[in-house]
Amino acid sequence: MNEQLSRDGFTKRRADRVAVFGWLVIGLFALAAVFAGFLAPYDYSAQSRFEPSAPATAIHFSGLTPIIHSRRVEDPLRRTYTEDTSVAFPVGFFVRGYSYKLLGIGETDVHLFGVKSTSGVAPKINLLGTDQLGRDRFSRLLYAVRFSLIVALIGVLVACLVGISIGGVSGYAGRFIDTFLMGVTDAMLALPTLILILGVRAAFPLELPMTRAALLLLLIFALTGWAEMARLTRGLVLSLRKREFVVAAVALGVSQRRVLFRHILPNILPPLRTRAFLMLPTFLLAEVALSYLGVGLQEPEPSLGNMLTAAGDLDQLRSQPFSILAPALVVLLFTLGVRLIGRSDSRKQ
Amino acid sequence: MMILIVSAVTFALLGFAGGDALTQLQDNPQISAVTIERLRSVYGLDQPLPIRYFRWLSGAVKGDLGESTYFRVPVSGLVWARSISTFLLGTAAFAIALALAVPISLIGVRYKSTTIAAFIDMLILLTASTPRIVLALVTLAISVRLTVSAMNSSSIILFWLAALALSAPLISAFLAQFYGELQRTMREDFIKLARAKGLSESAVILRHAVRPALNPVLTIAGLSLGGVLGGSVIVESVLGRQGLGTLMVSAVRARDLPLVMGIVLFTSTAVWLGNAIGELLQAVNDKRIRDLGL
Repeated sequence: MNEQLSRDGFTKRRADRVAVFGWLVIGLFALAAVFAGFLAPYDYSAQSRFEPSAPATAIHFSGLTPIIHSRRVEDPLRRTYTEDTSVAFPVGFFVRGYSYKLLGIGETDVHLFGVKSTSGVAPKINLLGTDQLGRDRFSRLLYAVRFSLIVALIGVLVACLVGISIGGVSGYAGRFIDTFLMGVTDAMLALPTLILILGVRAAFPLELPMTRAALLLLLIFALTGWAEMARLTRGLVLSLRKREFVVAAVALGVSQRRVLFRHILPNILPPLRTRAFLMLPTFLLAEVALSYLGVGLQEPEPSLGNMLTAAGDLDQLRSQPFSILAPALVVLLFTLGVRLIGRSDSRKQ
Repeated sequence: MMILIVSAVTFALLGFAGGDALTQLQDNPQISAVTIERLRSVYGLDQPLPIRYFRWLSGAVKGDLGESTYFRVPVSGLVWARSISTFLLGTAAFAIALALAVPISLIGVRYKSTTIAAFIDMLILLTASTPRIVLALVTLAISVRLTVSAMNSSSIILFWLAALALSAPLISAFLAQFYGELQRTMREDFIKLARAKGLSESAVILRHAVRPALNPVLTIAGLSLGGVLGGSVIVESVLGRQGLGTLMVSAVRARDLPLVMGIVLFTSTAVWLGNAIGELLQAVNDKRIRDLGL
């Protein structure tokens, strides 16, 4: 019976091709975040001062092997480059490069792709060009996905913990506490969130090292993002409070905390999970916004937001709009993917 | 009440974190610690937090939000001046969203074709999941391409493009709400009655269905004001417009506490006011709510 049910659910999910696309996108994001070191051909902070603001490397084909040429700055002010077509360097898979930790344990130096070289000196392959300091934008983008996603993920978790606790207490405790807590929640929901986030951010020093900046962002997210979750939890708790099994548990003399956490919470978890998932883009966007404005995650660590500050360089934006706006495209794909999944989820309910 | 809580919390956070506009001066070798202390007492920064909050609050009630420590002008004047530009942008965004959402929903309900329904569905999804920052950046890229100077904020085209970027989530919210509500209303008994009277379908929709379906849209409009103000920070920063959003960013960067407090207070009041107006309009629109005595 159970197997039948789950298979039924599976075919339904398969029928919903749109949601599959969403899962595919999110899966790609997870892969990029986990295997950033393997996928990125170069170290995200390695600078190449001879190649600042270079456009994407042109990939040619000699027969079936992709090749690239080395290039030299032609005009440092207009940032134009010329290719030296006399020597060809083949591009290959599983090339050795800088060493990194795979999955946080084993150290390795194999990368998905890179430039093969016999002499040891090889030009770099920059799929999205380089930034002002000559760092490989493609590699930075992969790591940015990792950093931004980690912050958003933990942010959602923390905000959910706070929100579920407040919502649970509000729905379960007496009328006075409920009125007060929901008043605060409604106030939080109506406020201009981003302005509030910025306001809280102003309380802390502008420039912070990576880990502290990340922690601060998490704190701010938890402070400003819990309301939505609290509201949902409260409604769900209220609807379950009068159900037989809860009344029975209370009648048996089970402690309040136990009723709330062992009897009510497991039953309201699925909708909470869906909502938490839908909150991911909100938090990701908050990180992007803060970092873009220069008060979130800061250089040299890349984040989707601080990479986008490059768009302030209008000359570059004009000459290579795609490379500069690639992080924006990534953000768009992520929100779209999450929405697609969320939409098919809510249709099922 | 809500505004009071918010201002107190923000104030407390700003205070507890320690550090103010003068902290940065400590790095300057030419300014002695004594001078900084004297400056602190001049600005009242040496007082304990509750006293400072009370002082600020008693000023705020009278419309005096103190002086910006960075720009050295009264906060209220600065915020007021900047808010006009943001107000215009926000209004334009609301106008765009309404101008798109209302006719599209009406057409969708009038001609019940699956193609139009799918199109509306698609539009809702796209506008809901395109972040403002992405839209603003794309707008910037396009305007740079077309060599419309992005820094020339007086450009009319750029103004509307900025408003469009700001309005994207609004379009989806309005469209989803209005279209859904119209469909629900069309199943009501009084619509059947109107049809039975022999009215044409367009007349049924325009005369009988629109008004009741408009109410949730008004609620949503009031509620999305906060989002628009938050979004204006992004849109204004990206497109280089001088407004409340950019003012907030520079205030945060300079750690200009009076200015930050002033903007937070101003925007929360604006949001509160917006919600109130939304409710008022609902009462005007719907006699049932009026009769409840709300």
